Amino acid sequence: MKLQLLAAAALVAGLGLVPAALPPQTTPPTMAATYSALADTILALKKTEANFVRSVVAGHFHGAQSYVKAGDGAKAAAEMALFANEGDNAMAGVRKRLLEGGHHHHHADDTAQGEYDAGFVIVTRKAKEAAMAASAAMRDAKDDAARQAAWKQFSAVAEPLLAAK
Amino acid sequence: MRRIAALLLALAACGGDGEQPDVARQAAAASSERPLWFVDIAAEAGLSEPTWCGRPEKPHLLESNGTGLALRDLTGDGVLDLYLVNGWRLEGSTVVERGRNRLYRGRGDGSFEDVSAGSGADDDGWGCGVEAGDVDGDGDEDLFVTNFGPDLLLLNRGDGTFERAPQSPGIDGWSAGSVLFDADGDRDLDLFVSGYIDCTLDEVLNAKPELVWRDMQVMLGPFGLDGLANRYFENEGGGRFREATDEAGLTDVGLFFSFNAIALDLDDDLDIDLYVANDSNPNYLYRNDGRGHFEEVGLWSGAALDQGGQAQAGMGLASGDVDRDGRPDLLVTNFANDSATLYINRGELSFVDSTRRWGLKEPTFLPLKWGTTLSDFDLDGWLDIYIANGHIYPQADQVEGSGGFRQKNLLLRGQEGRFVDVSAQAGPGLAVLGVSHALGVGDIDSDGDLDLAVSNIDQPPTLLRNDSPRRGAWLLVDAPTALRAEVRAGGQRWVEHAYAGGGFQSASDPRLHFGLGPVSKVDELVVVWPDGERTVLTDVAVDRVVPVRR
Repeated sequence: MKLQLLAAAALVAGLGLVPAALPPQTTPPTMAATYSALADTILALKKTEANFVRSVVAGHFHGAQSYVKAGDGAKAAAEMALFANEGDNAMAGVRKRLLEGGHHHHHADDTAQGEYDAGFVIVTRKAKEAAMAASAAMRDAKDDAARQAAWKQFSAVAEPLLAAK
Repeated sequence: MRRIAALLLALAACGGDGEQPDVARQAAAASSERPLWFVDIAAEAGLSEPTWCGRPEKPHLLESNGTGLALRDLTGDGVLDLYLVNGWRLEGSTVVERGRNRLYRGRGDGSFEDVSAGSGADDDGWGCGVEAGDVDGDGDEDLFVTNFGPDLLLLNRGDGTFERAPQSPGIDGWSAGSVLFDADGDRDLDLFVSGYIDCTLDEVLNAKPELVWRDMQVMLGPFGLDGLANRYFENEGGGRFREATDEAGLTDVGLFFSFNAIALDLDDDLDIDLYVANDSNPNYLYRNDGRGHFEEVGLWSGAALDQGGQAQAGMGLASGDVDRDGRPDLLVTNFANDSATLYINRGELSFVDSTRRWGLKEPTFLPLKWGTTLSDFDLDGWLDIYIANGHIYPQADQVEGSGGFRQKNLLLRGQEGRFVDVSAQAGPGLAVLGVSHALGVGDIDSDGDLDLAVSNIDQPPTLLRNDSPRRGAWLLVDAPTALRAEVRAGGQRWVEHAYAGGGFQSASDPRLHFGLGPVSKVDELVVVWPDGERTVLTDVAVDRVVPVRR
């Protein structure tokens, strides 16, 4: 069998079908360099997206904090719900557009594993549920003590997400 | 048991009251064991024409949309009439029949006469839904028909015949539900139209199943198709409309797949808010600032997502005070293998998903759900739920455990704190198999209880006469433009909020129906008007229609 293969190779070489000395076959280095620069941009965009969404949810966090200080539980609860959902339905519309365009901030496997809802960037599914529960507790709070308890519950979930880089 | 009950009833009917008192009593007892009872009388009532929706194979999503209906007094004789929207019948990529919408005049005894020909209402566009209301202020009910294609405003001439408005507001595309309501408090009806999918007739005619579902090729959508923007039109008086979507704050920011909307005063601040069911996207809740400008508060209100924070596939809508705390709650129907969602209103536009607590999780999980209503069918003082069902994929017939393409509808009896599925014990009307979508609620036979008209894809409609045991008295408050009515009787209180839209692409009798349980009179009836004024009536007799005018 080995002899047959060797004979076939010699025949092919003898017929001149394979050049005797192969030139190096590589992608032109300039193309790879350009792609590398593009990758920097893509990766930077992804980071920019995360920073942007983080600033959106941070806005809702601070809004909630202000309303808690002002003793307005209903408005604080609303801000907390918007934190949990990474913004309002206008933000959800942008997420829809990105998903339909094939963009998932997190790898699809992460979403499949249930860590993040589809299209979410900062708030994990678990954190979302906890923040929504805290929002409901804030809305139900009858006095300042109850509001503070709900805030504590919320900030325990929210602050680590804001701090994460 | 049902056979025995039927036999006893038959014997009682033959023997007469005096001759068979024991049998009659037993029959009455057996009848009272029925939780609720409905009989389909569509054929005998004169409703035998099918409504079409594309091809039997349903390769395009439009063909699963179904068609709407209106159960309203369109002829001005005080009796409910029926307007059935119709679609087109296709074979391959050919239109073989442009189904005409039909107008049936109600006789008040549960039967109808087809008066479509010459009515001016028998349009042959590919119809989707219908809404009714007096848009030109001349005292009769006009019709707004959503089409796949240009929408259609039909002005009532006052005698139950209609003419096309010279310039119809609406969407030229696939519009689904619509709502006529006074958004800006100027005492005329403005218009909100739900845009669903942006597609063309060519795409529909040439559609091929592209999506893989349970190892079968089925229709694509809604993901993979483009959403179509909702639009809002302000009535400038006399039924002349101008678009004011962005101005009113009703911009469809997500281009979500909006199916259906319902308008009512959800926060008791004397203006009308708007809730929109979105398919596969978060629902919208628009708070009215009292001047016709809206703010979208869905996500923070708690009514945009389910308890787990997930967007569902919103289809049909109903409103009613389920827990009798005086606030209107919301019921949203969703896709198969996902429950309908009951949002309990806690005031100030705060809602809590209470589906599981009220017993709705399990019975509503499997079917693919469309039109719905919260109505007190047995007059016991608690709202019941009816849900129209049917799959979008004909291929569901090949999948065990999917519930099939044609499905039975659901009936859940309301009790204090929970709903109980009584579909299997609620008579032959609940045994009908169909792909049911729209429904209209009203008293078609003038006996005081609420009956149902249901549209079915590629089949005649179902007309469900309510033969449920009567567990109390009733009151029907006829108070056009009122925001709500409150009834006190026997130490209890009921509140009904007037709403427009809801169901699924359909319009029901707008009068406020109260089931009151075993009371002999109403101590106080309060009607609340949009300017905050109240009309108070005391010692009102029950079991009657009470007209109240401002």
